[in-house]
Amino acid sequence: MPAKETFYDVMRKHGITRRSFLKFCSLTAAGLGLGPEFAGKLAHALENKPRTPVIWLHGLECTCCSESFIRSGNPLAGDVILSMISLDYSDTLMAAAGYQAEELLEQTIEKYDGEYILACEGNPPLNEDGMYCIQGGKPYVEKLRHMADHCKAIIAWGSCASWGCVQAAKPNPTQATPIHKVILDKPIVKVPGCPPIAEVMTGVITYMVAFDRLPPLDRQGRPKMFYGQRLHDKCYRRPHFDAGQFVEAFDDEGARKGYCLYKVGCKGPTTYNACSTIEWNGGLSWPVKSGHGCLGCAEDNFWDKGSFYSAVTNLKVAGNVEANAEKVGGTLAAAAAIGVAAHAAGTVISKATGKRSKQAEEVNNG
Amino acid sequence: MVSVTTPDGFNLDDSGKRVVVDPICRIEGHLRIEVNLDENNVIRNAVSSGTMWRGLEVILQGRDPRDAWAFTERICGVCTGVHALQSVRAVEDALGIEIPTNANHIRNLMMLAQHIHDHVVHFYHLHALDWVDVVSALSADPKATSELQQSISRWPKSSPGYFSDVQNRLKKFVESGQLGIFANAYWGSPAYKLPPEANLMATTHYLEALDFQKEIVKIHTIFGGRNPHPNWVVGGMPCSINIEESGAVGTVNMAWLNIVSDLINQTIDFVDQVYLPDLKAIASFYKDWNYGGGLSSKNVLSYGEFPAYANNHTNASLMMPAGAILNGDLSTVYDVDVRDPEQVQEYVVHSWYEYPDEAVGLHPWDGITDPRYGLGPNAKGTRTNIEQLDEGGKYSWLKAPRWRGNAMEVGPLSRYLIAYARGKEDIKEQVDRTLAELDLPLEALFSTLGRTAARGLESSWQAHKMREVYDEMMANIKRGDTATANMEKFDPSTWETDVKGVGFGEAPRGALGHWVHIKDTKIENYQCVVPTTWNASPRDPAGNIGAYEASLLDTPMVNADQPLEILRTVHSFDPCLACSTHVISHEGEELTTIKVR
Amino acid sequence: MATTTESTMGREQSQEPIYVYEVPVRVWHWVHAIAIVVLCVTGYFIAHPLPSLGGEASDHFVMGTFRLVHFISAMVFAIGMLVRFYWAIVGNEYARELVVLPVWSGEWWKRVWHEVKFYSFLTRKASKNVGHNPLAQLSLWVINVFLGIFMACTGFALYSQGTGAGSWADLLFGWVFVIEPSSQAVRMWHYIGMWVWVFFVITHIYVILRLDFASRQNGISGMIDGYRRFKDDGPMSPQ
Repeated sequence: MPAKETFYDVMRKHGITRRSFLKFCSLTAAGLGLGPEFAGKLAHALENKPRTPVIWLHGLECTCCSESFIRSGNPLAGDVILSMISLDYSDTLMAAAGYQAEELLEQTIEKYDGEYILACEGNPPLNEDGMYCIQGGKPYVEKLRHMADHCKAIIAWGSCASWGCVQAAKPNPTQATPIHKVILDKPIVKVPGCPPIAEVMTGVITYMVAFDRLPPLDRQGRPKMFYGQRLHDKCYRRPHFDAGQFVEAFDDEGARKGYCLYKVGCKGPTTYNACSTIEWNGGLSWPVKSGHGCLGCAEDNFWDKGSFYSAVTNLKVAGNVEANAEKVGGTLAAAAAIGVAAHAAGTVISKATGKRSKQAEEVNNG
Repeated sequence: MVSVTTPDGFNLDDSGKRVVVDPICRIEGHLRIEVNLDENNVIRNAVSSGTMWRGLEVILQGRDPRDAWAFTERICGVCTGVHALQSVRAVEDALGIEIPTNANHIRNLMMLAQHIHDHVVHFYHLHALDWVDVVSALSADPKATSELQQSISRWPKSSPGYFSDVQNRLKKFVESGQLGIFANAYWGSPAYKLPPEANLMATTHYLEALDFQKEIVKIHTIFGGRNPHPNWVVGGMPCSINIEESGAVGTVNMAWLNIVSDLINQTIDFVDQVYLPDLKAIASFYKDWNYGGGLSSKNVLSYGEFPAYANNHTNASLMMPAGAILNGDLSTVYDVDVRDPEQVQEYVVHSWYEYPDEAVGLHPWDGITDPRYGLGPNAKGTRTNIEQLDEGGKYSWLKAPRWRGNAMEVGPLSRYLIAYARGKEDIKEQVDRTLAELDLPLEALFSTLGRTAARGLESSWQAHKMREVYDEMMANIKRGDTATANMEKFDPSTWETDVKGVGFGEAPRGALGHWVHIKDTKIENYQCVVPTTWNASPRDPAGNIGAYEASLLDTPMVNADQPLEILRTVHSFDPCLACSTHVISHEGEELTTIKVR
Repeated sequence: MATTTESTMGREQSQEPIYVYEVPVRVWHWVHAIAIVVLCVTGYFIAHPLPSLGGEASDHFVMGTFRLVHFISAMVFAIGMLVRFYWAIVGNEYARELVVLPVWSGEWWKRVWHEVKFYSFLTRKASKNVGHNPLAQLSLWVINVFLGIFMACTGFALYSQGTGAGSWADLLFGWVFVIEPSSQAVRMWHYIGMWVWVFFVITHIYVILRLDFASRQNGISGMIDGYRRFKDDGPMSPQ
């Protein structure tokens, strides 16, 4: 049995003492919203476990998830790949290509049937027999189904895999379909965002590897620990929202004072993600902090909600019929007012003519 | 076809053994390469097929043009931001919006950072393993590695202990039996030429570059809120600058500007002390592997990038100039006009789309996209299990863009050749000095390694440009100008009813243009022609082959079963397939929805 | 038709006022009316905040106040709705009209159709009704039961986003996000609901005023003292 390098070995090699290692574990446990008793379990797991095999597939996507993943500062992406997981297949990073690459898939199934994690970036298109995304001469969806059949659990990276994202925006010409609508019989952890935050990605992986179980998920299948609250709930500009202080246009006086971006379309009030707490790229900033409203990129179908620069957005009523709440509402109210006025006029006329005809009737009868 | 000569002067012969490489890994997106080898394992015919389509421009129709940047940014997460920039430029061009000076500087800083990030990640993580044998690094002598490192640069991480640590880590990794991303590759192939010490040094820097790349993108995080996919806005940049008043903590302030300045210094150090020395060291061992030139010695194109002055995209302002060179004649650089319907055109005769008349090319403003998947008559396999493509029929999700009918190569090498031919002093000096150091003639640039070298040289040039742009911006702020956005025409009620615009410039991989037609405040038509579409393009009606196909020709393979040479040359373009495969439907035309599985 | 109506409702033909709207119903009506108006006004300003105020965040609490008032009115609205449903069980037969539609009765649908014709000026024959006329009953059911529940569910679901996972609002109304995962979409549906209310308020007030002007019975006074008064001695059926 060859020696398996654990995460702890790696940290030691980086010159990190056992004390610092335990501190890392308790910080990570706290970061994941877990009690202090979990720090010990985390440490034990990281010290002893061999690396979990991960197969990372790409469907229709833009590779922003992989790019985000390698931005992780804690833990470093290099340490995750070399020491925490065994990234046995990744179009973006693997040295092999062609049939040598595809062989690795079968080898993984052989060696780790039912044990590997299937990480899906992007989604399969179903139109044109799936041939809008061809891999090894075959539709991607076949590869996805095949690899899903033998996996232990699926991580749906990003909004593509979780919801469909940009290629599924109307009219979704390729019929790009999120993972949970194609794979029905495996546990799926959705990690939405376009892309998700790097530390959220590595945090989810750390949890799954260290505790050997799925993180607790919310109703929509997202890890509660990172998607439990809206950006708005923890936004540092929230006091300006409550006060009624808004940016009315980019780079105006309010923008320079860091006022709330709600009126220029910020979707923080309806977006579940960890941007306002963990922030991006090592906790440096996040969209709102740098002056642009949240696009709502971790939310289902955020592309089809109308302008990114308006608080009141569009609704999909049915099929491809879209409605803007403002227009529908305004039309309704106007219709009511006009209708009432017309009806009142009708009533008056009707009553007057009614009286006249009644009088005429009485005259005739009389 | 058995043997033909293309109009652009390449000899194709498909009589030999066919080798298929699919997927090509370590790229963005999905790409398939097929080649025919002669009896000496030399490539005599090459076929490049983009194997994905997302239909992004179809999705853009009828939307608010101010939102288009966010959609197009999602074309690619590797070269994130480059599409967003061309998109806001296109909309600003259509609506006649002028951006403030600071917005121009910030956009330049973000774009320079993007190019360098892209180049570094490409060199170390997507390309290096074509030249560097990771397994050979295990037998290196750390002390000799340290000496090698110290002889080529003054980078501080160079002690024998440091290299010994990395080597031990690698050993344990390999001994674990779980080889991860390094599994089933081509280690030990005679195509690898580096000594073990150089392999260990490069592998070490693979890991260091992984750490560095997450730092340089912080320039995006500060100005755009995050990376990948920072935020932009039509009319300037969404980040306000507030240097001296209350509220400064909520905006770009002195502390953040200092971080940007430090990041620029770090970048200059990394590129000049790690990337460039590694590049030269590796190149010196592959000097006689001079294949892969392809189109680079004939036709190259650049739209130019990094305007020194806001709202001026002419060569008078561009730090990296625009132009086109035909037939390798460096003495004549043509001007490029992206609005001219005769210049940039796309063909679909070998693409999975249909035109009413496929003999002609269409300018992006008149573009049609009507997807029609189907294999040519000589293809092998079935519709959903392709064994071999038929390049005589339709064979790619990419269209074939042409400049005045010519297939063109785009990218860092093209930019450098055009800047060199235009006599840009700083670039000419840098190129001449490097060639002299390696004792190579200018022609050596027309190769796979030349492409890779130009990318590295450009990174250095760009790192130093970042410093200049930053200083310019600080001077402008000092003068009291803190504006970052011009919102005068942000409200759609101020727009004309029917306008067209174009945003164009250089992405890391080459010439990128976005063409937009806005009608009644909505997008009527949107089209992108992107670098990888130029480079990985299929053939056109005249039979001209694209840059990938051309570059693979006449390359000998050491082992027909191990596509190292193919990977090397294709990777030298830094393929980005998500970018290249998303084209537009004709105005108002509905896409045929094909049966659902 | 006239025969059955007259025989079963003979009592109601008298000119004597009939006690229809009991005290809880009347109190509920007016509380509900105020709550809806307040909800609509504050809701509108949550969707479209007033022009930005200057100074520091601690100087103002405008949006916070709008939201607080919106939430308080929502509680009043919701509790009122529950009380009203309870009263539909224990109150008099007219108290049930709003909640239970006799959709199984062909007779009732005929009378709905008659009212549609009446309000479209297709007939001049006006009916008399002790409680609500069938068309009014139908539309009031749509607004008070269907829209009321819709607005309460979407509203509390949105409220649960602030109170967080595991809170009462989340446990009771979080399922809304299973049906529509996009909370921005739920927000917009809720907002459209507000406009339906505006539509209703305008038409409701008009129709009631019109009762006094152009029908055979009283309108607004009924909801004040609870009595239905008729203007003629004719049969209940249209004439």
